[in-house]
Amino acid sequence: MFLHNYIYRLKCIVRDRELMFWTLFFPIILATFFNLAYANLSEAEKFAPINIAVVDNKEYQKNAPFQRVLKSLSTTSDDKDEEGIFNIRYTTKEEGDKLLNDKEIEGYIYCDNGIKLVIKESGLNQTILKNFIDEFKQTSSTVETIMEHNPESMHSGLLDRIGHRTNFLKEVAPSKSSPDTVVNYFYTLIAMACMYGGFWGLKEVTAIQPNLSPQGARINVAPIHRFKVVIVCILAAISVQLFEIILLLAYLTLVLKISVGNQIGYIILTCIVGTITGVTYGAFISSIIKEEGLKIGALIGSSMTMSFLAGMMYDKMKYIISTRAPILGYVNPVNLITDCFYSLYYYDTNSRFFTNIVILCVFIAIFSLCTYLVLRRQRYASL
Amino acid sequence: MLVYKAFFKIIQKNILQILIYIVIFLFFVVLIANTYTDPTNMDFKESKVNTVFINHDEDSKLLEGLKEYISQNANLIDIPDDIQKLQDALYFREVEYIVKVPKGFTEAFMKGEEIRIEKTIVPDSASSVYMDNLINKYLNTARLYISSIENLSQQQLVNYIGEDLSHETEVLLFNPDPEKGKNIRRMYYFNFLAYSLFAILILGVSAVMIVFNQPDLRKRHSCSPLKLKNMNFQMILGNISFAILVWLIMIIPSFIMYGDYMFTKKGLLFLLNSIIFTLPALSISFLIANIVKSKNAISAASNVVSLGTCFISGVFVPRDFLGETLLKFASFTPTYWYVKSNHIIANIDRLKEEDIRSILTGILIMLIFALTALAITMVIKKKKYTGQVSGS
Repeated sequence: MFLHNYIYRLKCIVRDRELMFWTLFFPIILATFFNLAYANLSEAEKFAPINIAVVDNKEYQKNAPFQRVLKSLSTTSDDKDEEGIFNIRYTTKEEGDKLLNDKEIEGYIYCDNGIKLVIKESGLNQTILKNFIDEFKQTSSTVETIMEHNPESMHSGLLDRIGHRTNFLKEVAPSKSSPDTVVNYFYTLIAMACMYGGFWGLKEVTAIQPNLSPQGARINVAPIHRFKVVIVCILAAISVQLFEIILLLAYLTLVLKISVGNQIGYIILTCIVGTITGVTYGAFISSIIKEEGLKIGALIGSSMTMSFLAGMMYDKMKYIISTRAPILGYVNPVNLITDCFYSLYYYDTNSRFFTNIVILCVFIAIFSLCTYLVLRRQRYASL
Repeated sequence: MLVYKAFFKIIQKNILQILIYIVIFLFFVVLIANTYTDPTNMDFKESKVNTVFINHDEDSKLLEGLKEYISQNANLIDIPDDIQKLQDALYFREVEYIVKVPKGFTEAFMKGEEIRIEKTIVPDSASSVYMDNLINKYLNTARLYISSIENLSQQQLVNYIGEDLSHETEVLLFNPDPEKGKNIRRMYYFNFLAYSLFAILILGVSAVMIVFNQPDLRKRHSCSPLKLKNMNFQMILGNISFAILVWLIMIIPSFIMYGDYMFTKKGLLFLLNSIIFTLPALSISFLIANIVKSKNAISAASNVVSLGTCFISGVFVPRDFLGETLLKFASFTPTYWYVKSNHIIANIDRLKEEDIRSILTGILIMLIFALTALAITMVIKKKKYTGQVSGS
């Protein structure tokens, strides 16, 4: 009997084309859009050689040390050890102005009573450019100071020591994965899809409530315990939703190549817990709100708000919440699911992951209990 | 004007869904207004990288000097030395560079031994190139002094370095655009308008057309004394007035926020561009409205079409980040041309003839889109109609 009911609920669910769209295809379409739009987002902060120009006038010609420094920093430099930082063009002043106006270069160097920098707008590249010119001036100043105090040093290889720059920095990776902001968008998307599983919970509870649907009335007069029916319906909803989430996950990792880390067991666990949270959330909403339109509105509205707070529209939102109002992060299931994926991807330890899973389980318990309390022992004098 | 009235009655029934989009739009518009920064500052501003400085060594003069120098050239952010907190901050770009000075650094450094500071960065980022250079510059200068002048105290050393590093290059600004920051924000306003407008038009027009396209209702209409031509005319009038109404609601905030600017040449161009965009949006909505069969499919169609075209045309993400092939593909949507023109309007200092020409091209293409979609709809309607007549 159990299996019979289960299979028929499965059929009912799978044949609901509209809900299949919202729970399965909509997240996949959204993921595709995300991928198209954010594919190059992390490229934007990557360092690329800066295009600059140098006005090739008499004063520049005279300044041999500066020429040497510039050459060593150019991308066309022969020195293979150091990567070039600047793409240098040699121009006249007028040409430099034109290149600057057309945004072909970030700025140009103009020697007129000292080395000057001409730019059009402020930015990191301009700052880097300015710093390199500063450095030339500063090193000259250092040499002067040293010569004052120790004139002998010129003979003991001061110039060599200037040329020899030591790297005093050593890179320590922040974690096992690179801090790629883009992946978080996809994690919130999976979390949103999990909460959209609430649609199934909604549908199932409506289907067994005698005062909400004719099927409900029919089921209610059947000689089967109400509780058993509820369990079967919710199980069917969870099965379908879990299948959809796994499909979405497969699409993200295999087609779009989004990294979710490699702890597959934990990832599946997150999917299962997330799915159950979503479905029970929908059942909970459906049991406390009676009107059909309002139910759907409440479900979509709340899951969108939760997704927004978890950073689906603006990635920094999640960080703002976690630093300013951490409680808000802990009572938001979308954020918890997102955070599970995030901690699996980014952290070296799993303690935060388990905290999230435990809180999600508490949510499941609350949603289920409330649904149960509302649904139990309902009697109808007439329908 | 029975049909015309019926049109707006149906819209009224669906006002809740439409209101959601208007609220989202207003929310976004307010968000733009609040991120408004003072654009009057015309000086060269050095970009400052958010940096965390963690010292495991003693509080030596050398490190104090280094920290002071970093604080002058970067924003020092105070985050406790906790791995997860630092990882979070780096991930969400609250900081982009973390410096950790190991124990015994000062002593080893003063003796000239090899020792390194630990850095944690966003890999391959421009900000890390900048900060690397900054710190290396300070320490290399220090090393140079230590190796060249004997018995130098840390205090003296820091003074010398401070003196050297205070030399700065003069920066000249060439023909800067004072309105640029503002213009970019105005562009985001009008770009985002494309999303809300499109979504609302699809929702509204479809809601009405689905009612009018019900087979029984159509048959009833066909035998009414109202001429088909007259009915179609009222229908078109309804569609156009609905579109213009939505457009007006969408542009009102721009007048409140930008005031007189909207009456300058650029402001008017933004407005012109947006009303032209309304036409293809309307006729594509009309096309969709005649294809979708059920009420439930409307919200799906309006979400997918409006979100999709906006994502690939650069409404949500700046156009510069989108790939070449994607943009080529996107050029088959009117949204692409609308956003492109907005870009031109926002980014140029003075409107040149070639800019006007490319804006006009955009307008022309949008109009062609409008006509094409309308023509396709007419063919579909005709086919459906004849099918119905001969079928029944």
